[in-house]
Amino acid sequence: MDKKTKIWIGILLAVVALGLLGFLALSRLGGGTVAVITVDGQEYRRIDLSRVSESYDIEINTKYGHNTVRVEPGRISVTESDCPDGICVAQGAIDRGGVPIVCMPHRLVVKIEGSGIDG
Amino acid sequence: MAKTRKLALMALFTAIALTIFMIESQLPPIAPIPGVKLGLANVVTLTAMLILGRREAGAVLAVRVLMGAVFAGSPAALLYSAAGGFLAYLVMCLAVKRFDEKQLWIVSALAGVAHNAGQLIACVWIVQTPGVLAYAPILAASGVITGCFTGFAAMYLVRALQKSGK
Repeated sequence: MDKKTKIWIGILLAVVALGLLGFLALSRLGGGTVAVITVDGQEYRRIDLSRVSESYDIEINTKYGHNTVRVEPGRISVTESDCPDGICVAQGAIDRGGVPIVCMPHRLVVKIEGSGIDG
Repeated sequence: MAKTRKLALMALFTAIALTIFMIESQLPPIAPIPGVKLGLANVVTLTAMLILGRREAGAVLAVRVLMGAVFAGSPAALLYSAAGGFLAYLVMCLAVKRFDEKQLWIVSALAGVAHNAGQLIACVWIVQTPGVLAYAPILAASGVITGCFTGFAAMYLVRALQKSGK
């Protein structure tokens, strides 16, 4: 194996390692209790998850499609979607900022930020 | 290569790429992370680039992306896959001459990262939420891994095609 190949193996391994570490760090980082649901960049709903005592569902119907968002005490998830890949449902629940839930085909983002309803 | 032969091969490559793309879109996602997929159709783009040339590979890719969106996706999906495909193609064109054939998997890994970068940029633009950039690290890692995989597949395919006299 020549030197150039070895250098590139090193670079690519570093990208993979840093990427995985970065993602793990990000998904554990970030506080906040306020869930913000946006469609097409427009705020759709804002919920303070620390004040939720009973779970409920929000049905989101837009021109892009349908999603069901489940709001639970302290966490939020997408439980139903008629998008082709279903990745937003597979992502499960989030309980902190860091990494948002994204449904790319429906332009839907569910993220958690700040604390307090104005935060 | 005769013009007719080239045209026939381009059509064949496009059909194969589209079929692979359609089948992959029916499979369950390999990870619950938006944007992470094997991108098997890229094997065909790379192979076309080595056997036919850069422009021909670009044409195969463009037709596959367009028709893939018509058959399997939505207008939003077209934007994601066009942005990813275009950036990956640019990187492939620049890299393919700088590496020899045994290093094709490196070209493909770089193209994989570029593809995911393009897709993420399109996503930030479409959903208007910079928060999705949190996916940048994992998409870089997945671009390298899936890119290596498709790169090795393309490398062996090109070898086999050359051995069999095309």
